[in-house]
Amino acid sequence: METIKVVKDVMVDVFDFPHVPYWFSLRQAIGIAKKSLLTSEKCHHPMAILVFDEKYNLMGTLTLKDILKGLEPNFLKPITKAQGLESDESALSALWDGLFFKESLDKATRPVGEAMVPAKFFVQPDDPLTKAAYLMIHNDLVLLPVLEDKKKFVGLVRIKEIFEELSNAVLSA
Amino acid sequence: MNTEKLINRDKPQKLYIQVFEVLKKKIESGEWGVGSQIPIEEDLCKIYEVSKATIRLAVLELVRQGYLVRQQGKGTFVCKRVIPEGLTMSTSFKELMLEAGVAFSTQVLAQTVVMPTDDLDIKLEIPDDKHIIYIKRLRIIDSEPVVLQETYIPHHICPSLLNEDIADHSILELFEIKYDIPITNVKGYIEVVYAKEDESRLLGLPDNSPALLLEQHFYSGEKQIMYTRSIKRPDRFRLSIEMQKKTY
Repeated sequence: METIKVVKDVMVDVFDFPHVPYWFSLRQAIGIAKKSLLTSEKCHHPMAILVFDEKYNLMGTLTLKDILKGLEPNFLKPITKAQGLESDESALSALWDGLFFKESLDKATRPVGEAMVPAKFFVQPDDPLTKAAYLMIHNDLVLLPVLEDKKKFVGLVRIKEIFEELSNAVLSA
Repeated sequence: MNTEKLINRDKPQKLYIQVFEVLKKKIESGEWGVGSQIPIEEDLCKIYEVSKATIRLAVLELVRQGYLVRQQGKGTFVCKRVIPEGLTMSTSFKELMLEAGVAFSTQVLAQTVVMPTDDLDIKLEIPDDKHIIYIKRLRIIDSEPVVLQETYIPHHICPSLLNEDIADHSILELFEIKYDIPITNVKGYIEVVYAKEDESRLLGLPDNSPALLLEQHFYSGEKQIMYTRSIKRPDRFRLSIEMQKKTY
């Protein structure tokens, strides 16, 4: 089996992704997602926006799904089902269309800090990719920040490169 | 009062300038407190044994420099220092305060990176998917916030600015001296606006107060390298214009 690479061998530049401060609204994030991710000639994977605080510390990530989740009207939020009872909640999504302008547009003014996935996990440049893989799999992440000396944000690891390297290692074993 | 020590006719310095300096010291030392009325011209003439014209010139200069304010029919009063800012090539806030001999401090409220929204790409003349360094500072004079300044610099122009100590350093000085990026011209726009809620709060103004908005675009050659948006308390700043008559 090949030697597994370390994080710094595959990490990508932080400036490959759009940056927003936590106080930007979801409406502003939508505009940025359209300009920087959806219509850009550059291929972004994953389609995510990095969220920072006022001192340029990474706070979290915001994907297209997170933005939509942030716009979701309250009545569509998952509810606890009584045991044994099933109901067709897809019908509720039709209500979203009708009530969109009431709730979702209001929610578009909310700060991205409320919709982002907080950056709780990170790796260091010399950590093995298997550690990055473990964190991503068990925490359902597509991006992982790389911190030097646990402080300086120096790059990102993507699920794409993790998959590439680990799958090559398995196939060549 | 021993006027001989204060006003010296043998000195080459003009009399009105000597009187100006003496009166300025009285204000700066607090002997004449903010809001107090200064003696009338006749009394000042007797105290300093100079002509009315000399007193008038000295008082005029103190008004021009923001130390005094004239109230018609009432008199001349000491006011909170209003900093006159010339509408010429941009001077950094630090330089302006040092020239005026004013003690000031700066609070850095944000030093981070953003993407352009709300036509910022058009203002900075950059593509709409470029990263921008965003700096927000509150300038304080005499423990009172006076200017809220937001600065936008395309990240690729000077990435290291993100790590600079910009509380104690002028960004213009950093550009010109440390990073060898000369500022060749500046375009400025002035407007009276109503301060937004957070702007009013930070400047200690009542909600919806009028304020001076100064927008500046800084160029190095053909390339715009910085855009600033400053909200200033109108009671602490006055913009002056000096024009020279053209001779034909």
